[in-house]
Amino acid sequence: MSGDVAAFAMAQRPRLAAAALKDAGITALVALALFAPLVGLRTDVAPNGALFLRPRWAEVAILVLLAFALRLGLVYWQAMRGPPRLPSAARAAVAARAGRLFAPVLLGLAVLLPFIPGTGRYELDLGILVLTYVMLGWGLNIVVGLAGLLDLGYVAFYAVGAYSYALLAQHFGFSFWVCLPLAGIMAAFWGVLLGFPVLRLRGDYLAIVTLAFGEIIRVVLLNWVSLTGGPNGMTGIPRPSFFGLPFSMSGGEGTFAGFFGIEPDPIHRVVFLYYLILILALLTNWVTVRIRRQPLGRAWEAMREDEIACRALGINIVATKLTAFALGAMFGGFAGAFFATRQGFISPESFTFIESAIILAIVVLGGLGSQIGVAVAAIVMIGGFELFRDLEEWRMLVFGAAMVVIMVLRPRGLVGSRTPTVALGQRRVIAAEHVAEGRG
Amino acid sequence: MSATLAAAADPAARLGDPILEVDQLTMRFGGLLAVDAVSFAARRGEITALIGPNGAGKTTVFNCITGFYRPTGGALRLHRADGAAVELQRLKDHRIARAGVARTFQNIRLFPGMTALENLLVAQHGPLMAATGFGIGALLGLSGYAAAERAAIGRAAAWLRATGLIDRADDPAGALPYGAQRRLEIARAMCTGPALLCLDEPAAGLNPRESEELARLLRGIRDGSAVPGAGATSVLLIEHDMGIVMRISDHVVVLDHGKKIAEGPPAQVREDRHVIAAYLGEPEEEQA
Repeated sequence: MSGDVAAFAMAQRPRLAAAALKDAGITALVALALFAPLVGLRTDVAPNGALFLRPRWAEVAILVLLAFALRLGLVYWQAMRGPPRLPSAARAAVAARAGRLFAPVLLGLAVLLPFIPGTGRYELDLGILVLTYVMLGWGLNIVVGLAGLLDLGYVAFYAVGAYSYALLAQHFGFSFWVCLPLAGIMAAFWGVLLGFPVLRLRGDYLAIVTLAFGEIIRVVLLNWVSLTGGPNGMTGIPRPSFFGLPFSMSGGEGTFAGFFGIEPDPIHRVVFLYYLILILALLTNWVTVRIRRQPLGRAWEAMREDEIACRALGINIVATKLTAFALGAMFGGFAGAFFATRQGFISPESFTFIESAIILAIVVLGGLGSQIGVAVAAIVMIGGFELFRDLEEWRMLVFGAAMVVIMVLRPRGLVGSRTPTVALGQRRVIAAEHVAEGRG
Repeated sequence: MSATLAAAADPAARLGDPILEVDQLTMRFGGLLAVDAVSFAARRGEITALIGPNGAGKTTVFNCITGFYRPTGGALRLHRADGAAVELQRLKDHRIARAGVARTFQNIRLFPGMTALENLLVAQHGPLMAATGFGIGALLGLSGYAAAERAAIGRAAAWLRATGLIDRADDPAGALPYGAQRRLEIARAMCTGPALLCLDEPAAGLNPRESEELARLLRGIRDGSAVPGAGATSVLLIEHDMGIVMRISDHVVVLDHGKKIAEGPPAQVREDRHVIAAYLGEPEEEQA
């Protein structure tokens, strides 16, 4: 079989060489057109302060040659590899088995992270950040991944949660544990409020309205100065306490360190926050996984697959869509309340559109509807972004390239397949090509 | 299903009584009169076929019955087993489905990324959802949800067996062959426990052997013998395949240009002058 392919490749070689050269030549031309102005011309400051143009044609030539060589190599490699092989059932089964092991290992790592030697303040803070995005990704996954409703304004619920906590704690002195459910309920309420007008919208139209909704919330927060402090944000948000025991450096009787008789250390609060967000994220996951196996979750997925068929089966589309919006928003609200208590300061600047875009990118890169995929994507996106900090201004470039590479290699996200919620015999994963992406 | 069983015992709903009355149904799209004052009745325990040339308004009548269109005029009355009549034209589509009208689509509308079994469980959404206690009881593992789900899976398995799909239960619906998808869509509609099953061209694209199986399945659904314990379900179907229409239907209604031109048993309709004219052109006018 592979011999046939090789013989075929041999016979095709002269034609392949011509095609590859042509392809690489076009690539080189595009590269030239791009790099000539971008790299080739540079304005520098002369010693007398005047600007002058410094041409860098050697660098341009290197880049163009590099593009030519890489494209040539790529075309040849693709030709040698033969037609792309479809993943066989056996390979899918192996991947599924690895996937089943992967999740518990990841969870174990997450639980043990604060005790792993070498984990300092920086690693824990990064862990908290990553877990916040894992939770937001899982929350949005309900709306986008399961129900198939494209929501570009998810950060609005994150903001509602954060401001709910900040306002309730400051004006009424409620503790974090009282505010947390209230923030979630507030966010869910706004989720339903958004859900009503967009019930009849689908696809691009839905995306635009949710985008506008996110901006409306941000602009209101920015301009309602008497309530939210406007662009100055809200400061002095109460920090979390360990069920009433504050994390204080004094080490007195009523503090965390004093109660447990240990040396006061600022790391205690960070570890506590780490476990708090881990528990919140796992709660999101638990609820999602359980609901997926129930009529409501099946109705969400059925709605993503075919809304008209759902209506013919007696499923109330209004209720189904609103529950998806409300539940997704509620977890966004929880994450927002956590964000507010962790930062101690919030301002509308933390809730810009780019946040929505990052969360949506996490869900799409992870694979719509896949819990483990979303978690891995959050680690890659947020953790990777931190990892490339040394690259300075090239960071965005590397980051963008990584996203493009993931989407080229796995167009349906890291985990594009779907696991059935129920089976008569053995549960087999459903390949991505059968699963609908949802059109609204 | 239990409602239909009760019907057998209840003298108020005897076989042969009308289950669906279509009364002066009119549907207008802007200036186009798609259905013009059509009246007919589908009787309990019978297979009623709605036939007619392309563009006669069959699917429009269907979409009115199942709530996908709101009729411009007229009434659609569903007579329930307990004798009560439901005015379908006033209900929203998902309420019509809950009132006991299930349908399939001309171009199959399954949930392709879900398994055959999951498709049939989605069809039992209403009773299962009631068993979850608004989602919260089942979330916490309380309430009798587990038992309800077992019963639902049992019913789904019975219909998979009746449609010969039990071996493909855990395959995604989108991966099934065309004929199997048609049968799965009928099984899914039956899992809603309907009193009236509406089929939009169920034999389209089937080979002769598959249409023979389909005819057997539809007769089984009508008689209540397709699945053990299931009640008899009345069937209303649109069909182009005259062979299957003449073989299985008890009553045929012929539409042309939005008007009813004939109605009666298959043998009588086949000989009807207007029907032959509608299908073969208008020979009398050409001669005149």
